[in-house]
Amino acid sequence: MIGVGTAGPLGGTDEGRGARRLTVVPGPARGAAAERAAWISLASVPGIGPVGFAAVVSRFGSAAAALDESAGDIVAQLPRPDPETGDALLHLQRSGWRRIAKELEQAARRAGGTVIVATDAAYPELLARLEGRPPVLYVLGRPDALAHPAVAVVGTRRPSGYGLSAATDIADEIARAGITVVSGLALGIDGRAHLAALEAGGRTVAVLPSPIDRVYPPRHRELAARIVAEGGALVSEAPPGRLSGKPDFARRNRIISGLAQATVVVEAPDRSGALLTAAAALAQGRELYAVPGPIDSIASRGCNRLIADHEAELVTSPASLLHRLGLSTRNSPSTHVVATLSEAEGLVLGALIKRSGSIEELGLRSHLETPALASALTLLEARGLVASYGGVTFHATLAARRIGHPQEVP
Amino acid sequence: MLSEMLSATVLGVDGVPVQVEADVAFGLPSLTIVGLAGSAVQEARERVRSAIRNCGFEVPARRITVNLAPADLPKEGTSYDLAIAAAILGASGQLGLSATRRCALIGELALDGSLRPVPGTLALAAAARSADVGEVIVPQASVREAASVREISVRGAASLGETVAHLVGLRELPAAEPTPIPDWSAPIGVPDLADVIGQPLARRALEIAIAGRHSLALSGPPGIGKTLILRCGEGLLPPLEEGEAVEVSRIHSVAGLIDRREPVIRRRPFRAPHHTVSTQALVGGGSRVRPGEASLAHRGVLMLDEMLQFRADALDALRQPLESGVVTIARVEGALTLPARFTLLTSFNPCPCGWRGSHRHACLCEDGAARRYLARLSGPLRDRLDLWVAMDEPDLRDELDGAEPSSAVAQRVRTAWRRQVERQGVGNAELQGALGDDAGLPSRLVGLLRQRGRRFGLSPRRLHRVARLARTVADLAGSEEIRQADIDEALAYRPERTA
Repeated sequence: MIGVGTAGPLGGTDEGRGARRLTVVPGPARGAAAERAAWISLASVPGIGPVGFAAVVSRFGSAAAALDESAGDIVAQLPRPDPETGDALLHLQRSGWRRIAKELEQAARRAGGTVIVATDAAYPELLARLEGRPPVLYVLGRPDALAHPAVAVVGTRRPSGYGLSAATDIADEIARAGITVVSGLALGIDGRAHLAALEAGGRTVAVLPSPIDRVYPPRHRELAARIVAEGGALVSEAPPGRLSGKPDFARRNRIISGLAQATVVVEAPDRSGALLTAAAALAQGRELYAVPGPIDSIASRGCNRLIADHEAELVTSPASLLHRLGLSTRNSPSTHVVATLSEAEGLVLGALIKRSGSIEELGLRSHLETPALASALTLLEARGLVASYGGVTFHATLAARRIGHPQEVP
Repeated sequence: MLSEMLSATVLGVDGVPVQVEADVAFGLPSLTIVGLAGSAVQEARERVRSAIRNCGFEVPARRITVNLAPADLPKEGTSYDLAIAAAILGASGQLGLSATRRCALIGELALDGSLRPVPGTLALAAAARSADVGEVIVPQASVREAASVREISVRGAASLGETVAHLVGLRELPAAEPTPIPDWSAPIGVPDLADVIGQPLARRALEIAIAGRHSLALSGPPGIGKTLILRCGEGLLPPLEEGEAVEVSRIHSVAGLIDRREPVIRRRPFRAPHHTVSTQALVGGGSRVRPGEASLAHRGVLMLDEMLQFRADALDALRQPLESGVVTIARVEGALTLPARFTLLTSFNPCPCGWRGSHRHACLCEDGAARRYLARLSGPLRDRLDLWVAMDEPDLRDELDGAEPSSAVAQRVRTAWRRQVERQGVGNAELQGALGDDAGLPSRLVGLLRQRGRRFGLSPRRLHRVARLARTVADLAGSEEIRQADIDEALAYRPERTA
C-alpha cells in the first residue's frame, strides 16, 4: 500500500495510515510522486527543520505548492530560518526541485541507502507519531529494522569503566530479548551499546548526526559497517552527497528517543549530550530510565540528577529494566560450560557473578594466588564468561550470570 | 731520529691499538700532531711540552712531527698524552740508545708531568692485550681498572718521570695484582616489593619481566605506584655472570661511570633516564661516539618512567636494540655497533589526565586526546612490549598487608634465570624460531595458543611473545614442561586487554 491518497498522506482520508497520523498537514495538490519529490527537496534546505517544514506545508497546502511560492514567502513561515535558507530555496527553485529530489535519491542509492518520506509505509511508526517528526529520513541498511520495537541506550562520550560495563550489560540484555537497540554511534557509551547488541547477535540502529555517506565519528566507520551488515540500519536526517554541513547533534538526539519506546541514559555528566536525548524523550512522552552512579563520580552526575528529580526511573539491573518494559529475556541459559571449569575457574566466576571487581579484590575473595587467578581469568574471558574494561575491573558476562552460581563464594 | 710507542683509543665501547710515532728533524722549532687528531689531541702539544720540561727533560728546539696510526681512524681524547711525550723523548735521544721496553702507554699528562686517569682504561688495556704487548702502563689511579683485564702485566705510574725510569730500566714499576671480580652485594636504597600497596598483577608481571628479560608496560592513573613497582625491579636482578661483569664494566668504563677502586661491576645495571633525554643520550652517538643509556643498561634494565613523555624519535630509536640487542651508529667512517641488550621496564598514563579506563574516576580529557596521547607510542614499539598491565587505585587499602618482599621474589627469579642459562644460554625473551618451537611448546598447546589468539584477536608476533612468556611462567614455577595454565597466565598480560 502506498500511503498517499489524493487528499494527502496526512489528510485523514486514507484510513489505513492517516488514522495514526497527527493531521496537521494537508495533502499534496498534484500527484503523489511529485509531492514526495517536493518533500525530499524541501526538507533538504538548510534551516527548514521538522517544525518549519510542517508550518510551510500547512500554510501553502502542500510542499509542491509551497515550492511555487517565492522564497521570501516560504522563509517567512519558518520559526528559525538560516541566513542561507533563502539562497538555498532560490537555488532549489531555479534548478528545479524535481531534479534536486532525484539527485538526492540517487545520492542515497549510491551510498547504498534509501529515502523514506514521512508519508511512506516504511516510515517508522513511533517516529511518525511525533509532532516534530523528520519529514525525510535517509536509511542505510534494512529499513524494516526501524519497524521493530526499540529501546534507546545513550550516554557520555567519556565513560568510566563502570559506564561501559553497564552499557554492555543493558544493551546485551535488550538485544537478547529481541528488542532493537537504538543509539547515536558516538564514542563511549553509544558505541559500546551498539557493539554489545551486535555481540549478543541482536539488532541495532544508529542515528547519525551526519549524512549516511559520511559516517560520524569516522572512528566508528567499521562499527557502522557492521551494524548494516548484521541486519541493522543507519538513519540520518541529513541529505547525502553534500560536502558541507556540520553534524547536527540536537536533531539526531530527537530521532534517537523518537525511534524508541524507552530511553536509557547509562552514564552522563552534567551538560552531556545524552541529557538532551533524555529531555527529548520526556518531551515526546516516552519512558526515561537512568543508571545510577557513585555519588562522587562526575561521569554519573547527570544520571543521578535525572533520578533525583524524578525525571527518570532508576535502573537497578538489566533484567529489571526489561521487566519494567514488559519484556523478558528470550535466550535460555546453557549449563554445559560450567561442567568443564576447574575448581579455581568456578571459584573466580562465582565471585564475579556476585560482584565485579579488580584482580586485587578477587584475590582476597577467592584466596587464589595471582598466577592462578590470572590464568583462570584468561580462560573465562576466552569462553565469554568474563569480560574486563581496560584490564582493570572484571565482571561476569550476562551469559555467565544466566548460568548461575557455579560455586558459592563468601 | 724516529721513535715509536703504543697507545690505544676507544671506538664505541671497544679499545683499538694506536701506534704513536715521533720524528725529530732539523727545521724551525715546531710540534705537529697528524693522523686525524681531534681538538683534545691537538691540545696535547701544550700539555706534553710542559710535562716534559717540568720533569727535567727538554723539548728539542727542532721540527717535531707526531703521527698517530692508523691514520684514517679519528682520534679523540687525552689518553695518548703519555705515549706522545715518551715518543718525543725517544726521538730526541733522551731515553738513551738502549732499546726501551715494549709496552703500551695510557694516560693524560698534567702540566707538572703527573698522570691523570682517562675514561675507558679497561677497554684501552684490553686493546693493549690484543696488540700483543706484554705490559701496559696506566695512571696510578686506574691500576685496578686496567688490572681487571687478564693476560697482560699492568703497571701504575704516578708521572712521566716514573714512566721514563721504568722504560729505560732505571726503576721498574711494580706489576699490579689482577683485580678480582668482587662478590655480589645487594643494591642499597632500592624500594622493596613489600612496600607496594596491592597491585598483584603488576607485581607478578614485574617478576616475569625480570625473570625472562621480557619488556614490561604498566599503565594507570598517577600516584598508584607504577614508578615504585618499576624501581623494585632493581632489587630482583640476579648478579652478573663473571664474563658479563667484565663486558658491562668495560662499557661503564668508557662512559667514565666506574668506581676506579672497585672497577668490576657485579650488579646488573639499572638505568632510569629522565624523559627529557635526547636520542643521542638514549642510544649513543655523537661526534665521538659514546655509549647511550641503552648500552649502559646492557645486561640489565632500562627503565622509562612516563614513557609517553619521551621524545618520539628517542623511543623509536629503541626499536633496533629491543629487536637485536645492539645499537648500530652510522658514521661517515663506517658503522659502529654498541651492545645494548636490556630489559625494558616502562610506565605511562593512559591519557593526558590519567584517569582513562579507571573504574572510580571519569576521564576528563577532550575527545581523541587519549588516542593522540597513546599514538606517541608507535605500533612497532608497542608490538615489542611483552607484558602489559593496566593498573587502577587499590580500593582495599586497609585489608592489604603482608605483601611478599623482594627477597622472596628475587629467589624465584634467580632459579628461573639459572634454568634458562642452562637450557639455552640466553633469556627466554631472546628465543628464536617457529611458534612453539622457540619456547618448546607441545603441539597441543600451540593449537590452544592459536585458538586463544583468534578469540582475542592477537597478531602472530604477539603469539610468539606469549609463548616465550609462558616459558618464563613455567620456569618461575620450576617446571620444564609448559602447562595450559602457563599460557593462560601469559595471555593475561596481552596489550589488547588494556586497550
